[in-house]
Amino acid sequence: MKLVELSKARKDFGKRTAVLDMDLAVGAGDIFGLLGHNGAGKSTAIGMMLGQVWPTAGAVRLFGHDVTLNRQQALQKVGAIFETPVFYDYLSGRRNLEIFSHFTGPTPAAKIDEVIEWVGLKGREGAKVRTYSHGMRARLAIAQALLPAPELLILDEPSDGLDPEGIHEMRQTIHRLHRELGLTILLSSHLLNEVEMLCTRIAVMNQGRKVFEGGLAEAKNAGNWWRLATSDFTAAAAKLREAGLVSAARDGQYLALAENRGSEEVVRCLVELGFPVYELAREEQDLEKFYLALMEKERRQ
Amino acid sequence: MFYLQLRNELWKLFGKKRTYIGFAMFLLAQNLISMGFKFTTATRHMTQFLDNNGYLGQSFVTALSISVIMMMLIAVFLVPLYSSLVGGDLVAKETEDGTMRMILCRPISRLRLLLVKWLAGGIFSALLAVALGLFGLLFARLWFPWGPMFVFAPEQSIFAIFDDSQGLGRYALAHLFLIAEAASIMSLSFMFSCLNIKPAAATILAMSFVLISFILQQIPYFRDYQNWIFTYHLNIWVFIFEEVIPWWRIGQSISILAAFNLTFFIVGASLFHVRDIKS
Repeated sequence: MKLVELSKARKDFGKRTAVLDMDLAVGAGDIFGLLGHNGAGKSTAIGMMLGQVWPTAGAVRLFGHDVTLNRQQALQKVGAIFETPVFYDYLSGRRNLEIFSHFTGPTPAAKIDEVIEWVGLKGREGAKVRTYSHGMRARLAIAQALLPAPELLILDEPSDGLDPEGIHEMRQTIHRLHRELGLTILLSSHLLNEVEMLCTRIAVMNQGRKVFEGGLAEAKNAGNWWRLATSDFTAAAAKLREAGLVSAARDGQYLALAENRGSEEVVRCLVELGFPVYELAREEQDLEKFYLALMEKERRQ
Repeated sequence: MFYLQLRNELWKLFGKKRTYIGFAMFLLAQNLISMGFKFTTATRHMTQFLDNNGYLGQSFVTALSISVIMMMLIAVFLVPLYSSLVGGDLVAKETEDGTMRMILCRPISRLRLLLVKWLAGGIFSALLAVALGLFGLLFARLWFPWGPMFVFAPEQSIFAIFDDSQGLGRYALAHLFLIAEAASIMSLSFMFSCLNIKPAAATILAMSFVLISFILQQIPYFRDYQNWIFTYHLNIWVFIFEEVIPWWRIGQSISILAAFNLTFFIVGASLFHVRDIKS
């Protein structure tokens, strides 16, 4: 089942188009990363998912319910956290949790206690939020998102403004939320390494358009460089070029296959020429390289 | 659920220090006015005025008379200010702080959210009016004896005297109708608060609306249109001090104020509904 579905969703602010004809699908159990530069349209897309920003065109559905037409049903099992967690600072953490959770439904005190314990705020829940550190606020934000009982968490730049320890803690918490509570998570971020460490699927946005959607592995393997281990790389590369199998070579170990050529042809050619093939494997690029290459391609277009 | 949401809204409202500015200023103003009457020649002028009208002036320098004088001044100048201050905060402050975005990721309709907020504002308005009455009577009683009440409101051509029990009843009833004034100004400010503006701007807009309305009301050539003027209906509580209460006039104004309130709410809710809430 698709928990989040955007079909040709578009949002214009006056003459400026923030999101253009966006299609997106997040399945149950995913940790889905929405990537993009500042102003790419991530927050607007999330705003449309949460019924805070009205789409100019297209449809946004959560759990199969149209957010524009049936917001209450659509958001019944959704929790959300934004980049800077904001609370009623003059009230206690616990009172804040009661206030926010009651906008969804009646929440038993025991459930609130349970969540407070889960996020590690036990003993501090009675203190005013103004006395909380940034990390404690982040934990309180997670607690409010977990009340009463969501199945989908939408996190808009959850690590923004956190120090390295806070970022690490947030990452561990997101893993725990997925592993222990079985939540589906959609998060937006421009921290590529965070997304790489967390997500199973990603979508990349650029200037309001979605330019990639797929599995993280697919993104990492999107390059065309192969690592070759043989007795004489330079000679082997020259022969492969002559055979029209390879278009480029670099760093004494990487080959770029020519268009429409497969790795099995390279292996066969090398063996026929008498080169021992110790290894031929696709180079897995990190998300940063993939992202930068994608942006570069977009710029050229 | 509605009860819980209303209770939460009241927690938020009465958890903020600025909510109490109005109450604190009432205390200050009422003490200053009471002491002013006690330690200056003000009561002598009042006594002379009553003596000249054939009454035993000194017997009307009482806690009830001083309370009514304080009420008339504070209800005209301070009640609108503090009602609009709180009304202007209700939506705009939450939007400015970012808590509105946190609320609106929850499955509550915008209409229901505004209704809860408006009701909380209404409860605040009622408490403001009640506090004004109770504090006024308390501080006046600290300095002046209990006794009959004298009321003079030249604009409404009211000159009335009541014995102490009748006076106390009228005083309480007047504060009941003062709630209508406070709630209406709160609603006006609430409507502006639903726009994409800062809370202070919502308060200033509401106060400007009230003042412009008051100016229009004061221009004699607009008398034929006074029923359309907002402030004309706000001071209904003054009529409670007429010897024979003009219930038809009060009923008419209450109906029109109800229509004003409904209009303010519908306009505010409609504007808020179409808004995009972004960080």
